[in-house]
Amino acid sequence: MTQPSASTQRASVSARLADIVGERHVLSRPSELLVYNSDGLPGYRRQPSIAVFPGSREETIAVVRLLAEEELPFVPRGAGTGLSGGALADDIIVVGLHRLKKILSLDIDNRRATVEPGVVNLRLNRHVAPLGLLYAPDPSSEAACTIGGNIAENAGGPHCLKYGVTLNHVHAMTVVLPSGEVVELGSRTGERDGYDLRGAFIGSEGCFGVALDVTVRLTPKPQTVRTLLADFTSVDDAARVTSAIIASGIVPAALEFMDGPTIRVVEDSIYAAGYPRDAEAVLLIELDGIEAGVDADLEVVRRICLDGGARNVKVARDDIERAKLWQGRKKAFGAMGRLAPHLIVQDAVIPRTKLPEILQTIHAISEKHGVLVCNVFHAGDGNLHPNIAYSADNAEESKRVHKAMTEIMNACIDAGGSITGEHGVGLDKMGYMESIFPASSLNAMCELRSVFDPGRRSNPGKVVPVHSCKEWHGVKSARETSAATVPPPLAAEPSRPVAQ
Amino acid sequence: MPGCALPGTPLADALPGINACVHCGFCLQACPTYLNLEDENDSPRGRIFLMRSLLEGTVGPNDPSVKEHIDQCLGCRACEPVCPSGVPYGQLLEATRATLREHQSISPIARLILFVFARPWLLRPAMFFSRILAATPIPTVLSGLKGRLGFAMAMLASTGRSIERARYDVRSRGERGKVATLRGCVMDGLFGATNRATNRVLEVNGYRVVDAPGQQCCGALHAHAGDLENARKLARRNIAAFERSGAEFIAVNAAGCGAIMKEYGHLLKDDPEWRDRALAIGSRVRDISELLAAAGPRVGGPLPMRVTYQAPCHLQHAQRVTQAPLTMLAAIPGLELVPLHDSDQCCGSAGIYNLIEPDTSDAVLEPKLANIRATHASWVATGNPGCLMQIGAGLIRADMGAKAIHPVDLLDASYAAYGQ
Repeated sequence: MTQPSASTQRASVSARLADIVGERHVLSRPSELLVYNSDGLPGYRRQPSIAVFPGSREETIAVVRLLAEEELPFVPRGAGTGLSGGALADDIIVVGLHRLKKILSLDIDNRRATVEPGVVNLRLNRHVAPLGLLYAPDPSSEAACTIGGNIAENAGGPHCLKYGVTLNHVHAMTVVLPSGEVVELGSRTGERDGYDLRGAFIGSEGCFGVALDVTVRLTPKPQTVRTLLADFTSVDDAARVTSAIIASGIVPAALEFMDGPTIRVVEDSIYAAGYPRDAEAVLLIELDGIEAGVDADLEVVRRICLDGGARNVKVARDDIERAKLWQGRKKAFGAMGRLAPHLIVQDAVIPRTKLPEILQTIHAISEKHGVLVCNVFHAGDGNLHPNIAYSADNAEESKRVHKAMTEIMNACIDAGGSITGEHGVGLDKMGYMESIFPASSLNAMCELRSVFDPGRRSNPGKVVPVHSCKEWHGVKSARETSAATVPPPLAAEPSRPVAQ
Repeated sequence: MPGCALPGTPLADALPGINACVHCGFCLQACPTYLNLEDENDSPRGRIFLMRSLLEGTVGPNDPSVKEHIDQCLGCRACEPVCPSGVPYGQLLEATRATLREHQSISPIARLILFVFARPWLLRPAMFFSRILAATPIPTVLSGLKGRLGFAMAMLASTGRSIERARYDVRSRGERGKVATLRGCVMDGLFGATNRATNRVLEVNGYRVVDAPGQQCCGALHAHAGDLENARKLARRNIAAFERSGAEFIAVNAAGCGAIMKEYGHLLKDDPEWRDRALAIGSRVRDISELLAAAGPRVGGPLPMRVTYQAPCHLQHAQRVTQAPLTMLAAIPGLELVPLHDSDQCCGSAGIYNLIEPDTSDAVLEPKLANIRATHASWVATGNPGCLMQIGAGLIRADMGAKAIHPVDLLDASYAAYGQ
């Protein structure tokens, strides 16, 4: 008879949470929790037991302290746009931070803003745009995703090629640890002393605690921006041109790749950008900086494209055309719903020079399994996003799709790549962790986690497979003996996803 | 989907539209109820997930919380123009409401309103009574009352606050074609002056206005509430009436009515006898601003006033008409058009929503009024009776001085001022 006691406990926790945040902001009825059972990757579903939405910093701290007191595990959640199943709560509590959406302060002289974690990325950018500033990380979900979620995943985006990822744009955070203790990570005013715990927290996928406020770096808008669209009749040519541009020494602000199927699905959508439908690939290249330099670079890039087999190189005439080219790229993922009801999206990173051969391999795998792969990705930093649209209701098709995706991921790993550039490991890619990390590295991650969350209550069961921690929870000598018997990893160390 | 839990329902028919949603979440920030209620159950993505769950059987059609969140949707369709996969959200919502109606009853107020609107013999006296009441000081006096009665009175009071204008004569050569106008229910009942102004401005711009007797309520309120049977009945009567008129265009000055009329083809898609006729009539429907923008429109006399524009949801999201109303207002010399922040966000009217979901409606109206206040405009132009009364009532109750007005009335006043 565990059922009654579990439901009694749930009711009592719900009531106490409601005392903190108000009844309207606690959900415990199964039918109301349904929509919280997936993120941006609805192939994975886990039903939470309770969802609670604090509306202020104080409420958030009180909620986390109550959960600490009750020793209850929980999952922090932003806007639920993640693509790795990272914000899923399997019969535990979801703490939604989307109501914390205030921009707390702007320090224009020092180009800093302090925001609450639920602030939507694009809203921050709209807020600071009139001041000639921008917040550089621009994931494709920028119109919906939150800064807190960006921190959890160390989010990237097209412009990270030149500007770096979230990690490079966060000065400091106030964090409530799963124990309820409130700590400051990083420094709002200057350089840090000691270990970079801020760096450890960013990208911790909600396993280390909950950010209460975040001080971000704002970047001045570049003087000049030029956006080029180069179209190709061969995927291979586009891939080689990508490597050639990087090899030329020019660092574009962004260098994006879309293949034929992606182009056509975008052109069918409301975000049709004028990409040539008959192309097999386009490169969307952005150059920014001081006008004279940008124009010189533009000529070099144009030449590389044309010499490399581009049919046309079009330069956006104005901001409207430029925005249109970008909207097509950024909404490509959402547009895949036109092809089939379900979507599997991956996030592998490979060394850029291997782009042509990996794309060929992906093509061969897709032919072999009879699936349609849409490739849309950050070519400049070798961050691939193969998407496969399919119907999960068709078991046979589902099986083929997952098999194909696994082969694609393994091909990327074999090429010396990594399993995530910006989407995080979450639930989706946990199975690959042991093939890219040696057991000792996984154990080090477990130990790092224990510093922030010794009880492993914050987003349990994600990122690092639990058994790889348990295995290494012995005495030091035992650990060393076992280390010798571990098979050599496929890749010694995963390459960093982002070129900086 | 294997094992559909609600086979043969409008919702089951809508499955392809539901399947188009990939759960990307790009709709969240466009949704006024999500932004105000802060629960994903009250977002397009969440509601689509509930629809899918109804079909999967993971939640039953009798579940009160499902109905609550589906009811709380304004139906503003602001999610549609931001959806990369082109999910036909408005159609999904109507199909869901129609399916839930089989299992759960709608609110008594909604039922009464829909009953009256479907019956001209009840609607006419009801509108007559409202008009008489609106002409007395009673609504203004009672507009300060708390709750829905006060709000309803403020809505009525707002209908008597249009712009003064002189009479002027029009003689149209009709070179732009024959136009029949939809009289509408609320427009005919409470905004008769705007309907007359609509005919005049069409004639000034070279259209010949003809009558379409036999026309009735467009059926939008019924369709939005999931009463598809009555919506179809009304649509058939209107199709027949407008066919008889022989008009090339059907001009509609109520954005909500224009939106459903353009979609009559979808409403009657399963009716072999009417489907093609519905598509044909739908293709002739134009918002009044579209016809006027196509004609220029002719420039009138000066109206030195500060005006801001609120885009009705069913004009910009459902019909995707965004520039035409601004083109109309730009034809008025001296009129200073001040941009309204978040003018693409719903005002909370949403047909009869403001009467049946008052709390959410008020929450959505509040930021709208604050944004209007910041413009310092004396007039808020918007081309839909629901929005006119919602914003009008809000302005009265907040004692703001500004008034809501149909853009057609401004253009008409400008023509009246011509040569004076």
